[in-house]
Formats: sequence, structure tokens, C-alpha cells
Amino acid sequence: MNDEVYVSGRGLASALGADLAQAVQALREGGVPTVDFETAPGQTTPFFAIAPSDEDWATRARRLVRAAAAESGALEARDGTLFVASTSFDMGRREHGDAFELDIQEYSERVGEWLGWRGPILTVCTACTSAVNALLSASALVRAGDARDALVLGIELSNQYTVGGFRSMQLLSPTRAQPFGVARDGLVLGEAVAALHLSSRPSRWRLCGGANVVDASDPAGAVTAAVAAMCRLAVARSGLKAIDIDLVKMQAAGSQHNDATELAGLRLAFERLPALVSLKGWIGHTLGAAGAAEIALLLACIEADVWPAPNYPLERTLDAGLATSAPTRLRHVLASILGFGGGHAAVVLEDTGAAR
Amino acid sequence: MNGWRTLSHHSAPVPADWRERLIARLPERPRRIGLWAELALHGARACLDEAGEETLPPGALLCVASLRGPVEATRAAMAERATRGSPMPFTFLQSQPSQMLAALCQHLHWGGDARFVLSRDTQALLRLVQLECGPAGLLLGRVDEGAVLRSEWWRMVPAGAAG
Repeated sequence: MNDEVYVSGRGLASALGADLAQAVQALREGGVPTVDFETAPGQTTPFFAIAPSDEDWATRARRLVRAAAAESGALEARDGTLFVASTSFDMGRREHGDAFELDIQEYSERVGEWLGWRGPILTVCTACTSAVNALLSASALVRAGDARDALVLGIELSNQYTVGGFRSMQLLSPTRAQPFGVARDGLVLGEAVAALHLSSRPSRWRLCGGANVVDASDPAGAVTAAVAAMCRLAVARSGLKAIDIDLVKMQAAGSQHNDATELAGLRLAFERLPALVSLKGWIGHTLGAAGAAEIALLLACIEADVWPAPNYPLERTLDAGLATSAPTRLRHVLASILGFGGGHAAVVLEDTGAAR
Repeated sequence: MNGWRTLSHHSAPVPADWRERLIARLPERPRRIGLWAELALHGARACLDEAGEETLPPGALLCVASLRGPVEATRAAMAERATRGSPMPFTFLQSQPSQMLAALCQHLHWGGDARFVLSRDTQALLRLVQLECGPAGLLLGRVDEGAVLRSEWWRMVPAGAAG
């Protein structure tokens, strides 16, 4: 049985670029603008879109999935287990008149065909926590020796259904995503195809452990006690103490209420708050793909020494801000995602090359 | 399955009056959670009753599988989108599988690790959830809408665990 699980490769297509190198370069240059996404005739909302193309929905999806998986190196390990994490699957194809086929697993199997995948294929759909929960399951398989490799693919591509649903719930910002910002007024959604290749072969980033806590007391928002429980469980299952966590990648999407609730939960779990970072101001909230997309981007930023510092005024009354530079000690990162349905999920990653 | 004990396996066909039975069994009437979530709740509640458990113990893993998910709610939300431009908030929420997990947690008065995971290979899925759960065991359900409603559930614990 293997005791250790590593993130041995990663790939990302996002609004910041076609791959992680482009994404990091775009962050160096100050990020990218949103586009106006039409949710209904005459109604638009800001949206972080992957570069448009003339392809139909499925052709574009296939190209993006293949590219992200190839970037992660997982195509060399296609006998492993594939986890597809998404909330909208192929809604962008179906809503434009294709057969209204609702066998969700069929979509994941099609993704597997695009990759020539030979191993088992599973689908995880737990709203915004989908990719983090897929990571937890994938790491369990690798840790137990059931799979030497696993690929977690977070896929969230544009469709009017999902963006319209969020709009009708009045959760979207009419301006921009400003996590922890003084003028934060809602989420900005985005597209992403993210790939995290897990393996038992040692590499720089070790996946130490994690936790998923569903608390139904607020089915559409974060719960302070659940945030704290998630952090405590994730840290304990990683064999660590709260003091060992150097950086928390927050959910922090720019919602007035949820950003403050999440912070309150972190204060319960950490006697001394670690440095905090949010990536949703740069790529948007990529829903079911967010866990994989934000981990891929964050690790690439750390390795390239590029820091996604907020470029808008922060709210001082929160009495905690997002870090404006990388923490001087950066060995353990807790990466969390919170979602619809009371989902609170986190993983802890260790930079095995960092000083102890 | 070696090393595991099945406390209950709820496989009875969904009765015609399942909604009435569910409402009678629960202390609070489920509201605005949609057909699929109600169906999941019906089977999960029955499975726990058959296991002699009022709710799941802390640390258990709750996993639901379905090939089709909340079909009725998704169709309704798509229809609303076609006529109004966007789905209505509650219909949109009911079309998200995670809301079923929230409904289960709320009405079972339980909180913890709950997932919606799909695979055509039931044995592979069972192996995965067994790997991921601790001594408190698991509650695994297969819930599908359609002409024949299905809400089949297993309550399992590691063979050496109390319960």
C-alpha cells in the first residue's frame, strides 16, 4: 500500500489563457477583462470566458479537455482512474437543441473517449465542491494502491442555463469579482477546464489529506461552524496542527455575506490566521471545476513567484485581508471550496521542496 | 463483501403512496426540495429505519448515485428558461444534485461527508466509498426518477465496528 499521494502534474485552460504558462503570464501583466455574457436577450452579466472559437460546443470542449489533460501529463497514465467533476456537464450543448439526454455518466464517458482513457471513469457532482471531493476520492484510491495514477478533470464550460440560474438567484455581481473588497457585490462566473494528475510517484506537491463537511443549515451559503469543522478535520487528517498551515486558499468569491462567514469560520479554526488568498477575482467562480482550477493556478503561481494580489480596495472592517505577497514561510496550503447544498470541502497540500 | 457488514438493504419497490408515508414519518414536511430529493429521502429514511437507526452516526459517509439525477426539476428549469429567459430560483436549485444532499442532511438531522458520485460499475463505487469511510460506515443510495422510481439503499459498517 502506498502511503503518499502527489500532484504530479496539472493543466488549466481558463480566461487567463490556454495553459498555465499563459495564465501566469497574464497575472504578471495584471489579469484579463471579463466579457459580457448574454443570459437572455437583452440581459448580460460579466463573465470570465476562455477565448472564443468558431467550433461548436462539443468540439471546443473536446479540444480544451485534451489540452488540459495533456498539460497535466496524465495521458501517459490512461489506465488510471478518471474523475470528472462538473455541475453543468454538457448543458451548453443540450440547451442549443441537441437531444435532452440526461444520463450524466454518458458525458463523463464521452470525455474519457476524447482522451482515449482505458481505466475506470467516475463522476462527482457536489456543486462547487465537486473537484475537491473528486480529489479526495482520487487520493483515497491512490493511497490504497487501487490506482497508481488518477486524473481529476474539473470541467465547467459556458451555458446560459447555469449563468441564468445564478442570475435569477441574484448572486451575480453587475460589475466585477472583488473577494473581501469594500465594494464586493456578488460573484462573477467563469469557464475552466482543469486537470490534476495524482500519482504515488514522489513530486514537489504532496496531497496530505482533506475533508468534506455538508451542513444543511444554509443550503445556499457558507456556515461558520462547518468552515471551522472542515479546516480542523482536513488539518488533522493531514497529520498536522493548525499552526502548520501557512496559507489558506479561500472560497472567497466576492459575496457580501459568504466572504465574512468564511472568515469567521477560519478564525474559529485558526488561533492565528494564516495568510489568505483568493483567485476568483482573476478567473471567476468556475463552479464544479473551481477546486482543481484554483489549485492548479495557485501552485503554478507559487512556483513562478507570481502572486495574485488583490487590485481593488479591501474592506477594513473584516480586520483581515488577502495577502499582497507570498508568505515568507510557505510549506502547507489549505485549499478550500464552499458550495450550494451546504458543501464545505478542503485539501491540504505540502510543498516538499520548502524549508521546514 | 468481505470485511463489511450490511445493517440494512432497502430494496423494496417504491410504493404508490410513498410521499404520504414520507410526510407521516418525518417530523417536518419536506418543502421545495423536488421529486428526486424526496425520493432519496424516502429510501434513506426507510433504510435507516430498517437498520434501527434514527440517523447516521457522526463520521459516516453518505453517498448517492444516479445516472440521471434530478430529471424532473431540470426539465422544469429548462422550460422556465425557454419561456422566461432564466430558470426560477427554486427550480434551478432543485436541478442541482447537491440540494438533495442538503435535504438528506436536514431531514435526517445529520451533518458530515455527503457526496453525489456516479459510476456504471456499482462494485467500483462501493469499493471507493468503503475506502473513504471510517468505522461509522456508510449509507449508499441509488436513486433514479423515471417510469419506475428507484430508491435503493445500503447501510454498511466495517465488520469489526459496533452497530
